[in-house]
Formats: sequence, structure tokens, C-alpha cells
Amino acid sequence: MRNLLFLIVLIARTTLLFAQESNMNNAEIAELKAMINETSKATNTIQSNFTQYKHLDFLSNDITTQGRMAFKAPNMVKWEYTEPFKYSIIFKDDKLTINDSGTKSNMDLGNSALFKKLNQLIVNSVKGNLFQDSDFTMSYFKSPNYYKVIFIPKDEKIKSYIASFILFFDKKKADVMEVKMVEPTNDFTRIVFNDRLINKPLDNEVFTN
Amino acid sequence: MRYLLISLTLLLFACASFPKKNNLERINGNRPTVINPYFSDLSKDYIYKAKINFAEKSFGGIFAIKKLGQEHYRVVFTTEMGNKLFDFSFIKNEFKINFILSEMNKKILINLLKKDLFVLTSENPNILNHYQKMGDSMFFETKIKNNTYFYITADERLNKILETKGSKEKSDYIFTEIENDHAREIKIRHKNIKLTIDLKAI
Repeated sequence: MRNLLFLIVLIARTTLLFAQESNMNNAEIAELKAMINETSKATNTIQSNFTQYKHLDFLSNDITTQGRMAFKAPNMVKWEYTEPFKYSIIFKDDKLTINDSGTKSNMDLGNSALFKKLNQLIVNSVKGNLFQDSDFTMSYFKSPNYYKVIFIPKDEKIKSYIASFILFFDKKKADVMEVKMVEPTNDFTRIVFNDRLINKPLDNEVFTN
Repeated sequence: MRYLLISLTLLLFACASFPKKNNLERINGNRPTVINPYFSDLSKDYIYKAKINFAEKSFGGIFAIKKLGQEHYRVVFTTEMGNKLFDFSFIKNEFKINFILSEMNKKILINLLKKDLFVLTSENPNILNHYQKMGDSMFFETKIKNNTYFYITADERLNKILETKGSKEKSDYIFTEIENDHAREIKIRHKNIKLTIDLKAI
């Protein structure tokens, strides 16, 4: 029994240790940026499954939706939700189109300057080139499993809506594993990518709603 | 004089009450009660995919509704991508805007949403009268913020809330696809305002 307890404590401590994050030094930051740059330059298309978690503090559970994301350089992006409803939104040449289970629109709300900026940020984060953006203050962290960069908007209007963007990169190729947008309250939206295909040919037709 | 009489008669008919016009039979007796159970479970998150049409615009999103206490509800509307559009609290008769996107911050729209969401979540209306229609439908008359509503039940289950003015129908709140006190589909329709809300549970 005592051994079992010891084992449990040991496992708990090790898990804690693994989850621990530490600051990155300047050399490490430069190395990460170079790696992200390299990956970004070599990326023409991305296709990936994603799971989105909308956390609202007053709810018992996060709202979970799933779908597929497609990106083609320089700036065509499609977010296609398949579960639990069908909905797709395409950003192409600074325009936005929506197909809401058959109802097509280019809704005014989504065209608001704030949302355009937000979407641009998500695209840039998927591409990994958010670093060129001087609109943020950045801080860098590492853990045994990932690199984490926190972007704090300088613009007051954006800041009042999204307090910070957090990107998680895998340590091998600096691919974006996860995007987290934290609101000034405790609410956030978290998008986790999986089964990513890089540079698999992607028809322009995909980006029509 | 004859025209005046006709006009007066017409006016009288026009002002007739909704029950009279619809041949509802008034039931006397015990003080009746009716419950709207569709947002009543404190442990449940009520999540709906929404389609809203307002004026000529249509937009979609996700509604999250939760009962947080007696006469206390939180209603948040986000885009499908998770961007918050509005966040309201209803605490007894108090209405609080926790957040609203500047593009939606229009008094007329807020008042309409506030009214619809308040009606939608009102759980225990104070019933003034109740009526029966041929068949099984029961009509329970109540007032919410000085407007007249009928809670309509069939087989003791609420399937519609109807707002009336005089003898005329103003708004419909229709609950369908009901499973264990959970309305999986809700439609809100207005006769004079170009606002429709369609909710589907996800």
C-alpha cells in the first residue's frame, strides 16, 4: 500500500514537472523564430482537422465543434465545421463568404474591422508568421513538449476584445499545434489541430462557398 | 349615423379579446399553473445553433443559455468561430449587458432581444385566466412586462407561447422536437417586426 502511494506521488510529481514551463533565453527565441520562418516559407498548403473548444466560465462544459481547415498561400483559408453542424467560412482576397448549412451570405457582422483583424491573426498564426506583426508584445516559454508564445495586442480596441493570443508550436518543426484566444474575462476559444497535411496539392475550387 | 354605428361595431369587433375571437372557452376553478421547463435545469448547458434574420440581414451563431439560480439566467451569443457577439444576464427583473459587440450595440435590437430572451426563459408565469379550445389545447393567460401572453399546452406540455395585442397575434415562440423537457427546436416569429430566430440544439 505504501509503495502504491509512493508510486502515485511520484507519477503526480513527474507529470507536474513535465507540465512546467520556463522562460526562453534570447538565443532560444532566435532559434525558434528561424525555425518558424523556415517552416512558413516552405508551406504552400495546409490541410488539417481541428477541434474547437469554446470556454464560457458559467457553463459546465466547453462547447466543442470539429471540422477541417484548409490554407493555400498567400491568403486563402477555409474553416469547414462538420460536427455538430455544417458551416463553412472562407477568407479570400480580404473577402469573407459563409455557407451556413445551405444558407449563403457574407454577413455584415463578420465583416467588421475587428473580426477581419482577428481572422488575419488566426491565418498568420497558422502560417506561423505572426512575428512580423509589430502590433503585439510577445513573450516566449518552453516546456518539454512544446514552445509557447503569448501575443498581447497593443491596439486598445482589440485588447478590449481579446486580451491575448497564445500559440503552441511543436518542438520538431515548429508547426502550430494549438491557438488560444483569451478574452479579458476568463472565457477563451481554443483550436487544436491534428492530422496535418503539408503541401498536398489543393485546388482553388476548395475556396468557394 | 348609420356609418358611425357600423364603424363603432367594427371597432368593437376589432377590440374583442383574443379568447373571444378564437372561441376559447374559459375555465373557472382552481388557480391554474403552467411551467416552461425548457431552460429550467440548473445542471444543464442549453446550447443551440442559431439562425437570425433581422431586417434584410441574416447571420448565424451559437446560443449558450444557462439557468444560474432562481430567475437568474445567462445568455451568450457567439459566432461559429467563437467570437462573442453579446453576453446578457437576467436576474429577476434586472437586465445586465456583460458585453456587446459595438456593431450590435443598437437600442432597438437590444430591446427586441431582451424581450424575446426574457419570454423564452420565463419559467413560472403568473396565470390570470385559463381557457380551453376544442381538442386538447389549453391556453394560460399571463402578463409579462405589461404585455399579454398565452402559454399553450397540449397533453400538459407547453408547445407555444403566443403574444397578443387585443385580438391580434403579435409574436410566436414555438417549441418542438421535445425530449425530456428539452426543446431541441425553437422558433421565434414576429408579425410586425422583421426579426426571426431559429434555434436548433447541438
